[in-house]
Amino acid sequence: MSELPLHAAALLVFWGALVGLDLVSVPQAMLSRPLVAGTITGWLVGDLEAGLRVGVLLELFALDVLPIGAVRYPDYGPATVAAAALAAGAPWELGLGLSVTLGLLLAVLGGWTLQLVRRSNARAIQQHAAALAAGESRAIRRLQYGALLRDASRGAGLTLLGLALAWGVARYVHLDRRTAVGLTLVVIGAGISAAAGGAVRSAGRGARLRWMLAGVAVGILLVVLR
Amino acid sequence: MTGGWRALLRLFAVQGTWNYERMLGVGMGYAAEPLLEDLKSVDPVRHSEAVVRSTDFFNCNPNLAGLALGATVRAEYEAVPGEQIERLRRALCSPLGALGDELFWAGLVPVLVGAALVAAVCGAGWWAIAGLLLGYNALRLGTAIWALRTGFDAGMGVGAAIGGSWVPRAIERIGPVAGFVIGVAVPVVAGWYLRGFGWAGAVGALAVAAVGAAVTRWYGTALTTVRFALLAIALLLFFRWVGL
Repeated sequence: MSELPLHAAALLVFWGALVGLDLVSVPQAMLSRPLVAGTITGWLVGDLEAGLRVGVLLELFALDVLPIGAVRYPDYGPATVAAAALAAGAPWELGLGLSVTLGLLLAVLGGWTLQLVRRSNARAIQQHAAALAAGESRAIRRLQYGALLRDASRGAGLTLLGLALAWGVARYVHLDRRTAVGLTLVVIGAGISAAAGGAVRSAGRGARLRWMLAGVAVGILLVVLR
Repeated sequence: MTGGWRALLRLFAVQGTWNYERMLGVGMGYAAEPLLEDLKSVDPVRHSEAVVRSTDFFNCNPNLAGLALGATVRAEYEAVPGEQIERLRRALCSPLGALGDELFWAGLVPVLVGAALVAAVCGAGWWAIAGLLLGYNALRLGTAIWALRTGFDAGMGVGAAIGGSWVPRAIERIGPVAGFVIGVAVPVVAGWYLRGFGWAGAVGALAVAAVGAAVTRWYGTALTTVRFALLAIALLLFFRWVGL
């Protein structure tokens, strides 16, 4: 992890809050996709390659998520910001495993905090039930802005925690080369399994499966030709 | 009716107050507020009832929520009985959820993200990110405008309008495209990462991938892909700790 000046850390926390908000609340513009969040974080911390490597790998995990109805899922956005910050400045083959491990743990924690925010929203609505039943527009706006503030705080808090953990890991966790490379290979393998598993589940048994298999064949051909 | 653009902007925050009781309900009320403003001067009692109805339980895919919003607001202006509007809202939840999820989460997002992944690892860099953001948001904005207009034009007949629209046809077509693009992306991304590790490293990672795909399929929701990853990481660290 590169040394982060205070203003850069503050910028990352702000970016993490935006990314956290984007997942569900507003504007759902794909900023929270790990590919986007990771690459932009890499650029912010001055190591685009590290951000891209972390972002692409966490994106493989995110492809397994279908955010349908009330399903619970990890929040990869702020997790990617912290993971990309940890990966910056180190050779990716050695740093990717540890960074993505931190990212996965934070993503699980992020999913849990999402439930807290949703329960907190429900409590706020119960408290304003009388105003809602009376059709008070001001109560609706107050609830909406309060919920957005809670979610932004969640994203910022997660990013801040992630950056603190990243700083601790960079300072106190020193893996030998074999372990670091092994960890990188394990997370790459797990990422491939997540994306492949998600794709197979979405494909079912119809035309989509046949097209997916055709795509795999084309992908393998591209790898061989490169 | 005024407030269309404000309602459109507010639709992008329709999930802002998402919760397990009313789900999108309050967010829909927030988006409906500018559209219902004109009703206040015409019929204040009806306006008040309409605002209350607009915040009731509602759930669907956020990208198609405009259809329900437009239709119910039109019905409020046409003085359709409140119970009928409530029934319409409830009836729209499942179809708009299923159609939107198929179109966006299982279709458009995998297509664009898969294409962006391939482009990014092939060296497109910022163009890949820009393409993903611009492509997705342009399509999403267009869909939101169409949904709000169609809902408002159709009113209580919104079900037929959705059935005869481009949405069901697009879903039929985008599924196979999504399958193909993700099919291409996974091996290309895997090759990008594993090229630098030699055969032994590549075989090791692919073995982890094969075990992961098999066990997560076998155990279903009890062993998610993230749990498998964390388990595999813990096992590796344990084996290295005992000196293997």
